[in-house]
Amino acid sequence: MLKAMIKRALNINEEKVLINKTLQCLDKDATNKSRGNLAEDDALDWLKPRTLIRPDDQEEVPEADLEEEVGRILTTINPTWVADEVAYHYGKGKFMVKPKPMYGKAYPLYIHQGTAIRKDSDEAKAQIAAGYGMVSFDDAGPKRVKVKKTKTEEEEEEEPEQEPAPVEEVKDDEQVQEEEKAAEAAEKPAEEKPAEPTEEEPKAEEEAVADEETQEPEEKEAQQEDMGMEEYLDIKPRVKKLANQFNFCERAALTYNYPRRSVETQTIPPPRANFGATALQCIIFDYYQEDYARKMKEKEDEKPKRLKKKKAKHVKSEQQIHDERLAQRIREAWAILERLVNQNIYDDIAQDYRYWDDPSDEFREGMGSLLPLWKFQFDPMRSHAVCDVQWNPHYQDLFAVAYGSLDFTLQQKVGCLCLYSIKNPAYPEYAVITESPVICLDVYKEIPYLICVGLYDGNVCVYNAQLSLESSYQYKSNSVRDKHSNIVWEIRWGPRLIDGEPSFFSISGDGRVVQWAVMPGELQATTIITLTSSVPPIPGPDGTMLTVNSCGSCICFHPEKTEIFMVGTEDGMIHTCSLKYNRNYVRSIQGHHMPVYRIHYNNYNNSIYASCSGDWRVKIWEDGRDEPLFMFELGSPVGDVKWAPYSSTVFAACTADGKVYVYDLNVDKYRPICVQAVVSKKTKKLSRVDFNLKLPVIVCGDTKGTCHVLKLSPNLRVMCKPPKKAQGIDQRTLQIMKLDKLLSLVRDPPFQTGVVDEKFEDD
Amino acid sequence: MANEAEETVRKLAMHKGVAGVIVVNGEGIPIKTTLENHVSVQYAGLMSSLVDKAKAVVRDLDPTNDLTFLRIRSKKSEVMVAPDKDFILIVVQNPVE
Repeated sequence: MLKAMIKRALNINEEKVLINKTLQCLDKDATNKSRGNLAEDDALDWLKPRTLIRPDDQEEVPEADLEEEVGRILTTINPTWVADEVAYHYGKGKFMVKPKPMYGKAYPLYIHQGTAIRKDSDEAKAQIAAGYGMVSFDDAGPKRVKVKKTKTEEEEEEEPEQEPAPVEEVKDDEQVQEEEKAAEAAEKPAEEKPAEPTEEEPKAEEEAVADEETQEPEEKEAQQEDMGMEEYLDIKPRVKKLANQFNFCERAALTYNYPRRSVETQTIPPPRANFGATALQCIIFDYYQEDYARKMKEKEDEKPKRLKKKKAKHVKSEQQIHDERLAQRIREAWAILERLVNQNIYDDIAQDYRYWDDPSDEFREGMGSLLPLWKFQFDPMRSHAVCDVQWNPHYQDLFAVAYGSLDFTLQQKVGCLCLYSIKNPAYPEYAVITESPVICLDVYKEIPYLICVGLYDGNVCVYNAQLSLESSYQYKSNSVRDKHSNIVWEIRWGPRLIDGEPSFFSISGDGRVVQWAVMPGELQATTIITLTSSVPPIPGPDGTMLTVNSCGSCICFHPEKTEIFMVGTEDGMIHTCSLKYNRNYVRSIQGHHMPVYRIHYNNYNNSIYASCSGDWRVKIWEDGRDEPLFMFELGSPVGDVKWAPYSSTVFAACTADGKVYVYDLNVDKYRPICVQAVVSKKTKKLSRVDFNLKLPVIVCGDTKGTCHVLKLSPNLRVMCKPPKKAQGIDQRTLQIMKLDKLLSLVRDPPFQTGVVDEKFEDD
Repeated sequence: MANEAEETVRKLAMHKGVAGVIVVNGEGIPIKTTLENHVSVQYAGLMSSLVDKAKAVVRDLDPTNDLTFLRIRSKKSEVMVAPDKDFILIVVQNPVE
């Protein structure tokens, strides 16, 4: 539409070129030029080829249709803009007319504040005047200037891609006015808007284009400006390039770069070890102790060498000492472990031993019982008989057992000496195998680890229980010269000799009583007495007369008069002898009809003693009396009889039928207060019995190598109650009084002074 | 010594209810045992550490004191331990019916 109007306005147009250009310009705005337009304009012949080449398959369109004008209106008014649009202004609190949008159809998509300034601005002019600002134009600037100087107009015409804007600019004033008028005329009917926008619109548009177009158009514009300015700028000398404002110069040099190379080597890692320790107070203490010991040793080392040498001879090597100590420690540890194990096993027995008293005793006046506790057995000695048993005088839980054999048709080859503790019923604390069956033993009261034993082969030995087992005995009688020629039946420690050596006495089947002095390294024998027999000498094979010795079977020393001792023989005689008379007996009585197995002095009254024999009898004797005070028939050979250490009237005896008899003469003069079968009489016999010195237990041995520990029930160990008149009397005196009282009842004939006493009084 | 030790071990093992006897050396290695090997090793290892701990308890309370024995009673058995700086003796015992 606008195009048409322009055409009409410029109808008469002399300069077709201008029209053409205007149209071109407009066409650009209104998209591409239509074919119709082109065809219609004959003036454009020089631009386009005359004949149109048509493709064959093109649709035939009638000329009329092609001629038809299609109205296209280009308006400068924004159709979406509402003139009277108001909006509420919250700041002012009233409705305001919305201002007209700034850009007609041009919408800024991106605004960039460039550094370029317009050349015609004051600032640019000032810069150019100062000689700057030509930097961006390179060398082209001055050349062009020269060219333009000559033919400016022609160049303008020649420029092929002349933009419409410059064209318009170049237009004559009148032309522009005409155009404006035409635009005005055209727009007036269309829009009621005043003419002002129409006039300004192209300009604004032009400006916008100039602003928003990329550098190229701007540059061109600047060129044009440049050209415009040409007249008064004249030819300026070539503009100096804007030099470095700061006075420095940059220089660089690239040096040779060595190629990178990695070189590696691996070392052997140092050995590592984990170490952990805890520092406890005790460990610190130990180190201090160690340090102190070391310092003391250093001090010792500083001493003169002479002294040291002397010592060195005796001192064992450190390793040896350590080994010995270790061995000892291990032994102790084992011993205690064994105790612990035994404690677990025999706990109930231990409880019985400590706390169980037969409650029935309260109702059975004068009757008691024996509670069997532990049984002691040593496996290698199962077939042996217990030939002697004795409590240790020092250690109340310890007793010594002699293993031998009483079966003379089937004699054992070896014997054994054992020390048992009731704390360890399973194994002996000390056991040593002897070369010959052990028949008797005695523990030395002064040195409770020295034990003398009499052997079946007639030898006597002294054992030291402190020594380890390897060095079996400490002393042994010379087998050839001194030894007995028959079984040693009993052995007893005697008083020390004048020189202080311990001595012991042995009695043997060969009828000799020998005193053995324990000298350092050897035993020295002295025959005290040879027991003569009443049997007349027997004629020998070649006319000699053989005197027959009576066989000694037991020996017993007077508790106070150490030189007096009693000897029992196999033919039943009891001889009282003195160390001072080695030819004759002090006194001799026919005590029994069978071998006397034991003579035992009463612990409270020295003139009272008990004897037992194979003639089934136990007899209680008083010194100087030919007839016994008491006589008990036990119905079986009596192996042993012992007075109780706690009472003057109690004694116990064991018999071959496996029974233990306990008598209390104060309670019953005729019958035992307790008869207890300890072993079966078919297989075993009881051989020996012994009272513990402190504990209420007795031990008895049988012929099958078992020792039985029995507890005495309360009735068997009744203590004397002091009479009301004399409360302060001690138990011993009471016991003596008790026995004296009893004796005064028993003695039929009035009491006479003992033979022994008489005899010595005479001396 | 060796004979004596063997004799002792044998003796102890023959006691009623004794399930096993173990001799452990200073390094905690069982050197003599009547139990199966792996059981012994386990006992030895566990006991050595327990003994160390128990010893520390006793000695920390009084450095001049020392642990001498250890009894551990359990429902099924009792373990008795004799500790020393150079060895540990262990006896396992089952209760007697």
